[in-house]
Amino acid sequence: MTATPPVTVPTTPPATDELIRLEGLEVHFPVRRALVDLLPGRRRGVVRAVDGIDLAIRRGEVLALVGESGSGKTTTGRVVVKLTAPTGGRVIFEGRDVTTLRDREALRDYRRRVQVIFQDPYETLNPKQSIGDFVAEPLDVNRLATSRSDRRERVLAALDAAGLRPAEDFARRYPHELSGGQRQRVVIAGALVMDPELVVADEPVSMLDVSIRTELLRLMLDLRAARGLTYLFITHDLALAWVLADRIAVMYLGRIMEIGPAERVIGDPHNPYTRALVSVSPTTTPPTPGERATRTILVGETPDAAHIPSGCRFHPRCPLAFERCRSDEPPLFDVGHGQQAACWLAEGGRALPVVAAASGDARDA
Amino acid sequence: MTTGAPAGSATSAGPATNSPGTAGERRPRTLPKQAVPGAPLLEVDDLRTYFALGSDTVRAVDGVSFRLDAGEALGIAGESGCGKTTTALSLVRLLPGNARIVGGAVRLYGIDLAAKSDTAIRRYRWREISIVFQGAMNALNPVTRVRDQVAEPIVERLGVGRRAANRRAGDLLELVGIPRARGSAYPHELSGGMRQRAMIAMALACDPAIVIGDEPTTALDVMVQAQILDLLERLRERLGLSLILITHDLSVIAETCDRVLIMYAGRVAEEGPVGEVFTRPRHPYTQKLLAAFPNIRADRRALDVIPGSPPDLRTPPPGCRFAPRCPAAMAVCSEVVPPDVRFADRVRVACHLYPEGSSGEPVPVAATP
Repeated sequence: MTATPPVTVPTTPPATDELIRLEGLEVHFPVRRALVDLLPGRRRGVVRAVDGIDLAIRRGEVLALVGESGSGKTTTGRVVVKLTAPTGGRVIFEGRDVTTLRDREALRDYRRRVQVIFQDPYETLNPKQSIGDFVAEPLDVNRLATSRSDRRERVLAALDAAGLRPAEDFARRYPHELSGGQRQRVVIAGALVMDPELVVADEPVSMLDVSIRTELLRLMLDLRAARGLTYLFITHDLALAWVLADRIAVMYLGRIMEIGPAERVIGDPHNPYTRALVSVSPTTTPPTPGERATRTILVGETPDAAHIPSGCRFHPRCPLAFERCRSDEPPLFDVGHGQQAACWLAEGGRALPVVAAASGDARDA
Repeated sequence: MTTGAPAGSATSAGPATNSPGTAGERRPRTLPKQAVPGAPLLEVDDLRTYFALGSDTVRAVDGVSFRLDAGEALGIAGESGCGKTTTALSLVRLLPGNARIVGGAVRLYGIDLAAKSDTAIRRYRWREISIVFQGAMNALNPVTRVRDQVAEPIVERLGVGRRAANRRAGDLLELVGIPRARGSAYPHELSGGMRQRAMIAMALACDPAIVIGDEPTTALDVMVQAQILDLLERLRERLGLSLILITHDLSVIAETCDRVLIMYAGRVAEEGPVGEVFTRPRHPYTQKLLAAFPNIRADRRALDVIPGSPPDLRTPPPGCRFAPRCPAAMAVCSEVVPPDVRFADRVRVACHLYPEGSSGEPVPVAATP
């Protein structure tokens, strides 16, 4: 069987309040292994980190991009904040193509409106820089403050909004004087000082203890309510996505496997990969033997993005794979309720078949 | 397997290791000579481990008691700085230079390890108690083949010849789901999950009575974490292992342990069977900790927070150490250290809400607004 051309299905209903849209986004990195690879005619290796994704985020929405290592979720986030250039596709921000911003002013404006929060506050913060100076840095770099007092006011307002009160006191401190949760708040303040519209948060709370983690998640939700912020929340933890997101997109090996409202994706997954992730998502309720039996623990690990399997890229690990999955890559099929799944079993909106001993099947795969 | 994905899995610990005298067999244990007949496997009694920090003393572990029976899995949970790792490291005295066990006993088969000299305790590391550390990349030697690293403690501690040790190392690797042939790989050639499996193989090398896992799955992806937890479960069944799992992740404990010990600021807040503690938490701290855990099978907006932060253990608060953050704190809490009270469901709790002789009915605490 030859590969069928991908069917284009609109990712989201055309929304007037759409803030950002990714269209057919691709990030392919060349792999250079040896000098001989440079010879003409030699097939060069390519890592397809992001391999054609369509995604739209509405204003004020929290969209969680969930995936394991190697899913391309972080690379997608880096493209949005312009730390990585895509090799294909487009990024549309407020209806304007911002894929390549040649105009310095336009780029500066975009960089102000789209901010990023990274995972590790220990690496983001400079131990020799006061908290106030750290938060002021983006203002200084972009020459946004009109005066010294304006600069100070903006910094204090950002610290205050991030819950670091009294702000004057925190502005004078240094990173080592803060707890892990406070450091992450400083990083958030550093994003807020630019008064952004879209915040890309890459595993912002993964390293923290539960109690601090929930405090920060609450802060993020409060900030959305107060400032109408839009989030692209990148995480490997489905439970965090569940707590925070309106919609969840599940990525695997550079593609979106499933996308839809959080309740739908978690409550009624239509892609076997999502279903496996949901089945192993840890909870604090000790599992009954029956629950253990319905789990799908996938064999092996995500293959390397330089050797993406043919057909559906998940088929070698899929407990439900059949002939067609090996040859044809499924597009995202609409399954109703704003949910879409890239799986041949979801074609026509069908539900996944119930598998009695799912884990047993996965083992034999 | 049809992909280039690493072969082997949690489920491949199959019949590959059945040659006589190899890994993967439940054998009668040879107890150390000094073992007290009939003594429990491990009994920790009022353990105190303090750190010297300049002229200050940090009371990291301050009166911790628990017991581990043969074949049991105990989870020790708590936030950063609660003393859970220090407790575990105290058992085999792998403590940093500025830490010292200042009181209490660690009795393995009735032998007090805390009273042993630094040289004498070496006999018990690896052979009786081994540790799987978090972040296998840092714990493995980058320039030594994985098989040789697993074989090393077998040669060093058990005095087995190189060849036999290598054979056993290969068996152990297969037992944890790494194909024998992959034993010649260096750590960087393995994925994170495979490295963690190699660490587990190493911990099993000398057939220890107790394996301690210090955040064994923390840096791993969900699916790989599920594979590793599944592996630990299988190894327990198969080898009759006794496990101590140290983690801040309550779900890992819910998944794998029989009993749980909730630590707060160097002390035990609550301890008991996982089914009881996780479904009917008594201590306000346990209640809060569970309510703050994101759960895809619960209401997504009901997530609780614990206000404030843990106390400075150089100057811990008198009375109950959780009192300053506790929504149910009473006057007595900031004055009197709550005693341990054990209830009929085998749960022990140190909280003034549950005095000796009370019904022990859980008192729900208010959520943080």
